[in-house]
Amino acid sequence: MNKLLKIALGIFTSIGGFLEVGAIATTAQAGSAFGFSLIWAVVLGTVCVIFLVEMSGRLAAVSHHTIKDALRERFGPRIYLVTLVSDVLINWLVLAAEIGGMSLALQLVTGIDFRWWAIPTGFMAWLLLWKGSFGLIENGVSLLGMVSIAFLVAAWKLHPSLAEIGAGAIPQLPDHRPVHYWFTAVSILGAAISPYLFYFYSAGAIEDHWDEDHIGVNRAVAAVGMCFGGVLATTVLVVAALVLHPRGIEPERYEQIALLLAEPLGRTGFYLFAATLLISCLGAALELGLATAYCFANGLGWNWGENVRPREAARFSLTYTLMIALASLLMVAGIDPLQLTLFSMALTSLTLPIVTFPFLVLMNDRDYVGEYGNGWISNTAVIVISLLASVLALVAIPLQLMGG
Amino acid sequence: MDLGREVLDQQLVDRNDINMGKVDGIVLELREDSPPRVAAILTGGHLLARRLHPRLESLARWLTRRYGPGQMEPIRIPWEKVMKIGVDVKVDVGADEGSHWERWVRDHILRRIPGS
Amino acid sequence: MIMPAREIRLEEILGRVVRTAAGRPAGRIEDVRVLPEGEDYVVQEVILGELGLRARLLSIAAQLPTLQYLGLAGRHRTRAIPWEWLDFSDPERPRFIGREGRERPEGWKEADG
Repeated sequence: MNKLLKIALGIFTSIGGFLEVGAIATTAQAGSAFGFSLIWAVVLGTVCVIFLVEMSGRLAAVSHHTIKDALRERFGPRIYLVTLVSDVLINWLVLAAEIGGMSLALQLVTGIDFRWWAIPTGFMAWLLLWKGSFGLIENGVSLLGMVSIAFLVAAWKLHPSLAEIGAGAIPQLPDHRPVHYWFTAVSILGAAISPYLFYFYSAGAIEDHWDEDHIGVNRAVAAVGMCFGGVLATTVLVVAALVLHPRGIEPERYEQIALLLAEPLGRTGFYLFAATLLISCLGAALELGLATAYCFANGLGWNWGENVRPREAARFSLTYTLMIALASLLMVAGIDPLQLTLFSMALTSLTLPIVTFPFLVLMNDRDYVGEYGNGWISNTAVIVISLLASVLALVAIPLQLMGG
Repeated sequence: MDLGREVLDQQLVDRNDINMGKVDGIVLELREDSPPRVAAILTGGHLLARRLHPRLESLARWLTRRYGPGQMEPIRIPWEKVMKIGVDVKVDVGADEGSHWERWVRDHILRRIPGS
Repeated sequence: MIMPAREIRLEEILGRVVRTAAGRPAGRIEDVRVLPEGEDYVVQEVILGELGLRARLLSIAAQLPTLQYLGLAGRHRTRAIPWEWLDFSDPERPRFIGREGRERPEGWKEADG
């Protein structure tokens, strides 16, 4: 039973951290504009995130340190501060995108403009963090998140060709619109490899008192959970490729992405899409709020925890409160949620090495992980993929901004 | 024991294992006829800001005076109070003797929000 | 004559470049090693590391097996020297006075090449 709960943590992390507004928006873009030809980006992102999530669980289990905690200890305050600034900025934008996602889901159902929903949905997320326990958040959202399996059903009903999907998993050069192609690839990578995911995961493992006995479970959780997320993200791409691509629709608004499920599943599909968007964005918003608070608390030594009363971890609770408030305000200001999502995902890619490189050093430091250090495969995979994502982003973001 | 690697920047916990900041500084006492001894560890205040950049320290001072608890001296914990150095640095004090900011945020902001 | 401060801060001397009296850099202070002595922990040695950005990057790269395989990570060298070899009367400008330093008269250090 206990092990099942651990796997729940993994699946929750994957739904909240993987299939959220970022993954839905970027893969829908990819499918509608380029058919199956960007599936490789989802695969690459999934591989990288499996390694990184496994590492963050292993670091917590062996060293009893969260990532930020170990980072501050090992590298001192300067490097910690650099990663903190980058994380907080990205988390703020992504959190705003998630609140935008929730608000849009409600707009789809009620017809009331999303800006009106930014404060209520932000408040709902905050209330869950304020009153809820880690277990409630973890299990509740992963259970509700199962609704996203609707994408799997939709893909099934559309009878995609497995051979074509397989062909899309091989990296390839675009046959048209290269800038948009690479920008979308970068956004997909950023959406898959979200740093807040591993901050959340490593703090969760500390909060659940993991030790060396959990290394096996951790590996399974990371692989199963992230694969589940990767498969769901791929199905979104596949559905978009089959529904939107033939009609030449490239979503510029979320309403158009809602067509994804309405086409194969009818009216029910429309509501299922809204429900999936609402729940997965809520999950991600909770993770982002907590992850940001962890980043501060772990690195600065504040008392922290989702299982203590807010006043017993005062600065920690204040941090997620402010974070959610600021992100809601960004949405109220009327920034286009879809553009914000795509942009913040690409920005995540750009900053990946800042986060992953120091983390890799920790994962090879015997003082922290002892005999459980990284092997050369995980080191190489993470170095190569995060460098690739970052270099592509460095080129694609300015070109996309100039073109758009 | 290497002080920089094993003590500085480590998590500081009080006697009840409650987090009370990081080891932001270490005081070495110079002596006439023998090598220095470790006198105390320091946490909080504006030590961390000073280590990062003098500008940041002025900003932190201004913030503390204008909006925060006003108290800006770091907390000095004599080396004799250190109980254990392992994953964390455990010291024989209560966390309430810890960060001014933590208490200030709790008493001035959090208590006003229902359900805290 | 300047009275030496009775207390110095570890965090303020870490990372400082130690120079000889002639101003030649001798290394960067990476750590301070202490040993228990009765009730106290007493400073034994100071760990000096090589200078320069390249040396610092190498010290980090040296830990990644992947980079070691690729031959990108050189060896990062440090040496431990007794506390007495250093002069901390100005913590911001630690000076290397060497083995005999303490026995020599004050004026000797400036004159030394």
